[in-house]
Amino acid sequence: MGEKTIDFRSKQYYTNREMSWLLFNKRVLGEARDKQIPLFERLKFLSITASNLDEFFMIRVASLKDMVDAGYKKTDIAGMTPKEQLVALNTAIHDLVNLQYSTYTRSLMPQLKQNGLTVISRHEDLNKEEKNYLDRYFAENVYPVLTPMAVDSSRPFPLIRNKSLNIGALVTKKGGKAELEFATVQVPSVLQRIVPLPVKEGVRKVILLEEVIERNIEKLFLNYDIVCAHPFRIMRNADLTIEEDEAADLLKEVEKQLKKRQWGQAIRLEAEAGIDKRLLKMIVKELSVEPEEIYTIDGPLDLTFLMKMYGMPGFEHLKAPAFEPQPVPEFPQGCDIFEEIRKGDILLHHPYQTFTPVVDFIRNASCDPQVLAIKQTLYRVSGNSPIIAALAQAAENGKQVSVLVELKARFDEENNIVWAKMLEKAGCHVIYGLVGLKTHSKITLVVRREEDGIRRYVHLGTGNYNDATAKLYTDIGMFTCAEAIGEDATAVFNMLSGYSEPESWNSLSLAPLWLKERFLYLIGRERDAAEEGKAAHIVAKMNSLCDPDIIAALYEAAAAGAKIQLIVRGICCLKTGIPGVSENISVRSIVGNFLEHSRIYFFENGGNPEIYCSSADWMPRNLERRVEILFPVEEPALKKRLWHILDMELKDTLKAHVMLPDGSYEKVDLRGKQKLNSQELFCEEAVASAQKTEQEEEGNRRVFIPETHVEV
Amino acid sequence: MRNIRTFAAIDVGSYELAMKVFEFNGKGNMRQIDCLKHKIDLGTDTYAAGKISYERVDELCQVLREFVRIMKSYKVENYRAYGTSAIRETENTAIILDQIEQRTGIRIEVLSNSEQRFLHYKSIASRGENFNRIIEKGTAIVDIGGGSIQVSLFDKDSLVATQNMKLGVLRLREQLHHLNVKPVKEEELISEIVNAQLSVFKKLYLKDRQIQNIIVVDDYLSAWVKKKSVEGEDSFSVADVAAYEALMKMLRTKSKAQMASVLGMPDEKAQLLFISAVLMKCAIKVMQAEMIWAPGVTLCDGIAYDYAQKNRMITSCHDFEQDIIACARNISKRYMGSKRRGDTLEAITLIIYDSMRKIHGLSKRERLLLRIAAFLHDCGKYISMVDLAECSYQIIMATEIIGLSHKEREIIANVVKFNHSEFVYYHELQSKSIDRQAYLVMAKLTAILRVANGLDRSHKEKFTDIRAAVKDNTLTITVDTQEDITLEKGLFDNRAAFFEEVFSVRPVIKQKRSF
Repeated sequence: MGEKTIDFRSKQYYTNREMSWLLFNKRVLGEARDKQIPLFERLKFLSITASNLDEFFMIRVASLKDMVDAGYKKTDIAGMTPKEQLVALNTAIHDLVNLQYSTYTRSLMPQLKQNGLTVISRHEDLNKEEKNYLDRYFAENVYPVLTPMAVDSSRPFPLIRNKSLNIGALVTKKGGKAELEFATVQVPSVLQRIVPLPVKEGVRKVILLEEVIERNIEKLFLNYDIVCAHPFRIMRNADLTIEEDEAADLLKEVEKQLKKRQWGQAIRLEAEAGIDKRLLKMIVKELSVEPEEIYTIDGPLDLTFLMKMYGMPGFEHLKAPAFEPQPVPEFPQGCDIFEEIRKGDILLHHPYQTFTPVVDFIRNASCDPQVLAIKQTLYRVSGNSPIIAALAQAAENGKQVSVLVELKARFDEENNIVWAKMLEKAGCHVIYGLVGLKTHSKITLVVRREEDGIRRYVHLGTGNYNDATAKLYTDIGMFTCAEAIGEDATAVFNMLSGYSEPESWNSLSLAPLWLKERFLYLIGRERDAAEEGKAAHIVAKMNSLCDPDIIAALYEAAAAGAKIQLIVRGICCLKTGIPGVSENISVRSIVGNFLEHSRIYFFENGGNPEIYCSSADWMPRNLERRVEILFPVEEPALKKRLWHILDMELKDTLKAHVMLPDGSYEKVDLRGKQKLNSQELFCEEAVASAQKTEQEEEGNRRVFIPETHVEV
Repeated sequence: MRNIRTFAAIDVGSYELAMKVFEFNGKGNMRQIDCLKHKIDLGTDTYAAGKISYERVDELCQVLREFVRIMKSYKVENYRAYGTSAIRETENTAIILDQIEQRTGIRIEVLSNSEQRFLHYKSIASRGENFNRIIEKGTAIVDIGGGSIQVSLFDKDSLVATQNMKLGVLRLREQLHHLNVKPVKEEELISEIVNAQLSVFKKLYLKDRQIQNIIVVDDYLSAWVKKKSVEGEDSFSVADVAAYEALMKMLRTKSKAQMASVLGMPDEKAQLLFISAVLMKCAIKVMQAEMIWAPGVTLCDGIAYDYAQKNRMITSCHDFEQDIIACARNISKRYMGSKRRGDTLEAITLIIYDSMRKIHGLSKRERLLLRIAAFLHDCGKYISMVDLAECSYQIIMATEIIGLSHKEREIIANVVKFNHSEFVYYHELQSKSIDRQAYLVMAKLTAILRVANGLDRSHKEKFTDIRAAVKDNTLTITVDTQEDITLEKGLFDNRAAFFEEVFSVRPVIKQKRSF
């Protein structure tokens, strides 16, 4: 048609994923800066930005550094070399950290003080009474657990643990020459970071543990004079890559790697602003930190203590009211879960709806005499997980229990190994992940022997089987006993146990086998429809979007005229508003009280809409290196509910940030629009729907029940 | 209360170990509830070294133990495990099978090619209604395996001929590899190899038969037909020749990796699909077929169907015994056997067999063997009228009869042989597959066939009405004929002696002349 062809893969159409991630963290920080939000919620958001940044350093920055060290020059999706990315990140991260601390000191601290909570930032500011109290506190509680370490010719530089907070000091031997020596002590993680002072006249004051130690530091180095003492913290390279092909025993390998983790190369040094130059120089030299890796911090190091502050009793009026996940109307109290599922597929929307049915599903299966087998994938499990207990119980009850425990779940390995061993002991068949692939899919299969033969009950989800995070993460779960999905689920577990792929799949699409092709096909179908002049529409909600093939397909479909609305919480390498490429694409990110985590994909399909849920984001790692599942939701009522979720998030005006053509994000301009907070709306709806059933039950109870037996 | 029965079928194949778990609901329904496949290359060990290596046996046992665990989890009541060519052709079959049984508790039985193909065929027939509808028209089953292919022909809903050809996909791939062929030349070369054999097949069996349908059993094309078939809910997927040509066109133009992606199969399978497709293209051309059907079944389906049928858990809508008989008749026809004589002899042997039921203690299956022996009793005369015994024996041993195991065929060959020549006793018999039990069957059937054959010595079918009854150690065979039976009576004594030796029952002929 004479149009010039557009190369949808041209690097200029893509955003670097790390920079995009920083923008996400900035959106979270935006919540901490939002005066509309209760003060303590803002503390929480600030804490989250800090822990996010820590993880980002350990994984992403670390791996970029590895690449630079290895001389790797290949460019990323946006055409940047690892070195270029590091340079860009460095400026951006410094800016972000500055913004974090200006939020802390200029906004949050004064407000806390106004609301009756004072954080003493310097121990020198304490009054005498408080000083006495703290010194006593130090002697009784802190001193016994400290391990001070000094460096001299006979003692090497000590190991500074990853992410730990330390106080470094310059000391000179008493009575000796004035030679400066280095000494350090770790701020013990076993003690509360926030030390409350006795309440006086209704004013609550707290001080941080490092200040307490710093104040008493001379008690640790009795033979020395203290020249100066300052907190510092380092971050080490922790991108744990397991050589699976070489590791004979995966389990052992993970344990080994965990021990090694503390030894990684230092990649960030945080030091208190105003740290003595000589002390800093010594630390920098010993840990071989580069100048651009040093962050001087005007405030307390490691803001994650704010999460603990959030948990302090009192101040409830400064927190958002806690939301209680609501009962699921489809599972009335005391019902037979299996019977309810037989009536039709059931959709759960967490955390608006409770996760309990999922736990009950496994718990009931574990002691149901008709149940033959339970199979489940476990990725991140909560401490004391009731699911683990139920699985172990099932094995003890003689059920065949197969559990795939993913050992490669980032930072959770230690946790997972413990569960895995426990399950094995109980008689479960435990599979420790697959070589070369992370199992990220969330699927449970219960095989039941019923009157008319074997029936399979399946739970599929977008989130982990973790009852704790199910209260914070928004996720979709579905129960079904549809034969087609049951067969596929059996095949999934057979494959996870090492058997070959079945000849064909009924409903499920699996990564890394066909999931990407499936998505490309679904997107391509909308492109074709658009080219034929038919309605073409994609709405996709996910955590991250950075797969170049998918993005190119989206550009192509959009260029052909398809309407594409993306709800991407985190990283998004796609750009909107590129003339001729992505004018038809909109991207919004919802950052709210709950962590948006569900993945929902809607395709117009020429007026016959299809809607899917998945454990997978549109990221290469999800589509190529993980076992993921995409499942269709087919019952009209459930499809309607999912559409409602997408629709409301697209209409959200309070928590949505919209991507602008320059790649930055901006909150929705409220002018002329109704205020809508989709998360709050879902909360209200969940309450309403639960109450409705309760009333109905109540109503039913008002039927007269004739007494058949009268006790005299 | 509950009528559900669960059964597991295990196929120890040359390149794959598979288990399917089935449920029979007692109403004639069979439902697959699980399917597990594990790739294990036993074939290369057997074909190249003659023996399965220790490592492979170990792996095999490991997976089988896993299968046992899964069977337990489904509360499977019974199972059948069959080994095919890799197990069959290994030198130390017995040792390996014993080892496996000791280590896993799984007893593997070995299938001969004809039994294996028959189970394949049963698995197709297990698809019921559709199958019967298809075979109303001229139909061929093309069963494509790794080492060989089996082509079976139907005539008016029963199987009439079956032929094995060494054209398996793995074998062909091996040949291509050996010849170091350029991809563009592959199709031409495969066609050349395949057509050479198919043209012989055509001459022998096809003549002017009309073949409209081809039913394909394989691991590659079936997947394509299934994809192609609209709403593949039906138990048979189908594609017409035009669609097939489109597939061929695509296969010619696309790379293997592209094909794999389009068809949704692993890359390595794509090449085998290509070979399979070319093979099928040749078959379609030779038979001038119009439709290609793919039931998508495997040996496991056949094993389960066979088990269910034998245990009366399902009633089959197809008479498989009739297929075996039709095949045998066809073989007889090929060697110029007279249909009338075969029928007469069959009738007489069966009358004697049935009257002796309490004494010989044999089953329906042996009855079938006897019938086949009767059809084929003088096939050797096609080669030599003098050396009838040996020639008949050789023909039967060299001709595959679908549905019969090697051992059963050897029994038949021996029965036919000893019908004409001196009986050889067990300790002198030099055969690997004839064990004591088979030997006894052989002796009993020989005795019956000899007597029956004695009654029809002059080949004039003199007896129209025969009855037989056993009383006091005497088998009285009453013949109702007007003809002179001096010849029969004279030769009878000689034959009767062996009968008496075997059964301790003396056969006598009584002539009844009814006017």
